[in-house]
Amino acid sequence: MRKAKRWAAILTALLLVLGLLSACGGGQAGNSGSGGDAGGSGGNPESRTESGASNAGNGGDANASEPEPPMEISIMLPIFKTNYPSDDSPVVQEINKRANVKLHFEWVPNSSYTDKFNITLASGKLPTIIYVPDVKNPNFVNAVRAGAFWEVGEKMKNYPYLSLANPVIMQNSSIDGKNYGVYRGRALGRNGINYRKDWLENLGLEPPKTIDDFYNMLKAFKEQDPDGNGKDDTYGMVLVKWTGQWASGFDIIKLWFGAPNKWGVVDGKLVPEHETPEYLEALRFMKKLYDEGLINQDFAVFDSAKWNDPVVNGQAGVIVDVTDNAARLDDAIHRMLAEQGKDQPDVHFVDNMIGVVGDHGLRALPTSGFAGLLAIPKSSVKTEEELDRVLAFLDKMNEPEMQTLANFGIEGVHYTVEDGYAVRISDTVKLESEVEGLNQMLPFIPEDQGLKVKQTPLRIKTEELQKEAEQYVVPNPAEPFISTVYSQKGQQLDNIINDARIKYIVGQIGEEELLKAFETWRRSGGDDLVKEMNELYAAANR
Amino acid sequence: MKPTATSTAAAAGADATVAGPAAARMGGSTKWGRLWKNRWLYVLLAPGLLYFLIFKYVPMWGVLLAFQNFSPYHGFWKSEWVGFEHFRVFFTNPEFFMLLRNSLILSFYNLIFFFPAPIILALLLNEVRIALFKRTIQTLVYVPHFISMVIVASLTYVFLTTEGGIVNELLDHYFGFKISFLTDPAWFRPIIILQTIWKECGFGTIIFLAALASVDVEQYEAAIIDGANRWQQMWHITLPAIRSTIVILLILRMGDVLDNGFEQIYLMLNPLNREVAEVFDTYVYFMGITQGAFSYSTAVGLFKSVVGIILVTLANWTAKKFGQSGIY
Amino acid sequence: MRHYRTIPGTIFDICNYLFLSLFALAAVLPFLYVFAGSFASDTELTRRAFFLIPERFTTAAYAYIFSTDTIVRSIGVSIYVTTVGTLINLFFTVTMAYALSKRHLAGRNFVLNLVVFSMLFGGGMIPTYLVVRELHLLDTYWALMLPGAISAFNLIIVKNFFQEIPAELEDAAKIDGCHDLALLWRIVLPLSMPVLATFTLFYAVGHWNNYYSALLYINEPSKWPLQVILRQIVMLSQMAAGDLNAMDPNFEKPPDQSIKLAVIVVGTIPILIVYPFLQKHFAKGVLLGSVKG
Repeated sequence: MRKAKRWAAILTALLLVLGLLSACGGGQAGNSGSGGDAGGSGGNPESRTESGASNAGNGGDANASEPEPPMEISIMLPIFKTNYPSDDSPVVQEINKRANVKLHFEWVPNSSYTDKFNITLASGKLPTIIYVPDVKNPNFVNAVRAGAFWEVGEKMKNYPYLSLANPVIMQNSSIDGKNYGVYRGRALGRNGINYRKDWLENLGLEPPKTIDDFYNMLKAFKEQDPDGNGKDDTYGMVLVKWTGQWASGFDIIKLWFGAPNKWGVVDGKLVPEHETPEYLEALRFMKKLYDEGLINQDFAVFDSAKWNDPVVNGQAGVIVDVTDNAARLDDAIHRMLAEQGKDQPDVHFVDNMIGVVGDHGLRALPTSGFAGLLAIPKSSVKTEEELDRVLAFLDKMNEPEMQTLANFGIEGVHYTVEDGYAVRISDTVKLESEVEGLNQMLPFIPEDQGLKVKQTPLRIKTEELQKEAEQYVVPNPAEPFISTVYSQKGQQLDNIINDARIKYIVGQIGEEELLKAFETWRRSGGDDLVKEMNELYAAANR
Repeated sequence: MKPTATSTAAAAGADATVAGPAAARMGGSTKWGRLWKNRWLYVLLAPGLLYFLIFKYVPMWGVLLAFQNFSPYHGFWKSEWVGFEHFRVFFTNPEFFMLLRNSLILSFYNLIFFFPAPIILALLLNEVRIALFKRTIQTLVYVPHFISMVIVASLTYVFLTTEGGIVNELLDHYFGFKISFLTDPAWFRPIIILQTIWKECGFGTIIFLAALASVDVEQYEAAIIDGANRWQQMWHITLPAIRSTIVILLILRMGDVLDNGFEQIYLMLNPLNREVAEVFDTYVYFMGITQGAFSYSTAVGLFKSVVGIILVTLANWTAKKFGQSGIY
Repeated sequence: MRHYRTIPGTIFDICNYLFLSLFALAAVLPFLYVFAGSFASDTELTRRAFFLIPERFTTAAYAYIFSTDTIVRSIGVSIYVTTVGTLINLFFTVTMAYALSKRHLAGRNFVLNLVVFSMLFGGGMIPTYLVVRELHLLDTYWALMLPGAISAFNLIIVKNFFQEIPAELEDAAKIDGCHDLALLWRIVLPLSMPVLATFTLFYAVGHWNNYYSALLYINEPSKWPLQVILRQIVMLSQMAAGDLNAMDPNFEKPPDQSIKLAVIVVGTIPILIVYPFLQKHFAKGVLLGSVKG
């Protein structure tokens, strides 16, 4: 009895608290509702587009003929430095003047951008332009499907620069076949091989052309004392910790053997990469490298932030990763030698290449071609006319002079021009608090046409190499698909494959068990994933 | 317990400050009289209570996200309700028992090996009579608490890797073999516990040192006169003085047996030790990346909390059974 | 006193001193590495895995850190939030803990249940954010101090300490006509100095290390506390260079490791100094006896 009474009392109190709660909850609902409102009205885009279409024409004309008051644009962007350009930086003022806008920046530390992004979505108070780091972020996809963001794919065709957007990247950055933001373009053909050129020369070898050459290079780097110090203290290639979908250099190497990029197409159907014989062949190659000590034996725990260290320290000679890393490696080696007073400033110690050839020709791993989207929420940009002005602004930012402005600042203040190259002033603090970070709002469509920093021959070569690599890239046919099975079980499925292949390489399991793990993958949801992917693939190709 | 007090518990708790004066005017029953007598205590209670209601209980509706497919953009009211779907997915996950086992074993190891460490260290410090030495050591052992886990993990790598790690170099030199500390599943738990002891042991002693500070010096003097040696002094005077603090910490620790500290595990986890290293915290993190963190992680959090509250209640009950004061 | 010597006692003392010295050494070595590394060049940090004395001493990392007012200002913010925040913590915790330490208080168990429950069940990031927003605390320092005004964990332990204070002491004062407020102020608090020192430290450390609240509640970068900036640098130097380059096409290289280490030093030293300062309060055990006598 007493117990019952006591519980009754507690229950009453709880109800009281709940009452309080629901009252407050209601208050919040009203508020988040205001965010929701915008989404709701966005829910019937039909009527909106029609009325807006005529507006768009008018708006476009008005833009051209008579001067309008500057449009206020707030932008939420990630910041990488500890300093950030403020709204009254002279560079921002200059951009304001040239683009007829009034910019307000909401800087968010990159390390926590995703949390802030989610909170901002929930708060309903969105800026005019918001940077979306991951187009497949479920919260963004949900918001898009609820009509929170403007579809810009069609409209981009009306603008001189945005219309030059790369169709592959447009597809990669799409949701359900449509584009809900202007992508920030990056080189597609970034991946390749970086190697110690001086070592190769010491050993009298030619740059490798075939997979066998590549293997021989690694072997020579280990066994023939490439640094000539008389000690057996070098090995071939540095690999780092593999996580889930990402497998360090292996993602690139497997393509040489003819394995597909994540998904292959066999008889018009999507097949997961690990079920192809070429993939297995590539894994056998990796195992051989591991067994012969040509790769670092602790690669399963090697921190990716330290990837460059062994090459810089002269312990290893090859990194298979983005080719622009060659320049950073080279710089670091120069710095180290300079400190020892042994630098040779005119020599490049590192060189790069797209890849080596197996039986399937030259094949390179593409990147997605973009680093996030600049999306435009409907709650902050209410009309199509406004949308047109925002897009016109983003279009304008692709003009070479605007790119230079956002990248380097104002000539004579933040940089000088020498032989057609930009040379930054040495005052990093001034740069960081007035310029750096502003390039986060550049879409680079079709590409970076602004001024460049003075290039070393290696950097110039790398840029050409990356452009050349575009014709050899092997796209992932499933890149734009958003799979519900994957969102639920993807992590687990990736782990099965990832764990098995690493255990295989280090010799904890044999080939039989590896194949068994691939079967487990099928049973644990892989079957459903293959089925769903094929449905999406069929629907997209209809 | 005290049945008479609890019958008014709810009213008093929720509306303490108002009840007092009102009761005084009524001037009636002993119950109200007692409330009035304690009016100042209720005044003291009020700010804290208010804090808990506003910042802890008002947002509590967040636990309902576990039953939704919450999307921040839609907000709470427009998100789709999915009932127990997230729990179903979680419990039917073939890895569920692996996660449960790993989380529990790690917590158990923590309880056995880490939990007593600060107590022992505090007792050893208590035996030090040179004040300067004691203070210096106290300050030094407190430092690791502030070293970020990222640094701890990278130094662990530097010491333990098979490729030129200091420990393996020594092993190789003297015994002619190496140990794959970082990838061998058998070494995962010991390394985690050692890292924890190194990092948090010194900081953990502070609370016990505070408890020891209130021990009456006269008691030791009396014991010495009775011929007690140092071991007996520690056993009969020092330990009892911190016993209730130990019990409370132990009970509270029960509340997060399924929390293993995400960052540390995440940094030390790799494909070769996943079978013992993956715990709820890391799993939820990875799921969050692909699935939209909120609803699923709230569901897992809710599960962890339910387990926690059951264990806390049990531990508290047990403590009371053994005559300790417990948390209530 | 306790100073009498036996042979086993002396052996124990020697072992004890030796063990504590070794443990303390192990505890500070990594910090000494961080400290030494913050004065080393980046190439040295690439080359040498672990060292305590840099070959080439340079203060470049510190020069970089203190070249702008960003870090200095954020240290100011951190000190302010830590000081005021800790005072708020102590007020809320001590008052509530004292009330809850009285077993005769009607409603006590219910409130304690609320407290324990809130320790295990929480609304999470977004609901809490909405409460803070509704209270118009966004972009104010209050948002960094009020939502964590009481740690349930600390509250329960403080309450427990108060409970341990012999009732006779208070009863005596009560007879003299003290009411509960005066009792707390004049009798209980002076007896609880070690406890107060402990929780001052716990709360201060919590405020000092907190970056998450600031990330969520503070949009104005000039109000960021130190830890936000510290974390930014540490996280950046953890990223692979290729990833950084994809994010920012002008990114030459991640921040130097030495800058990361220098930032850790700058972020740690101020809070390390607090402890020795509070330490004298841990030796107040005699007080209890003197009050009794």
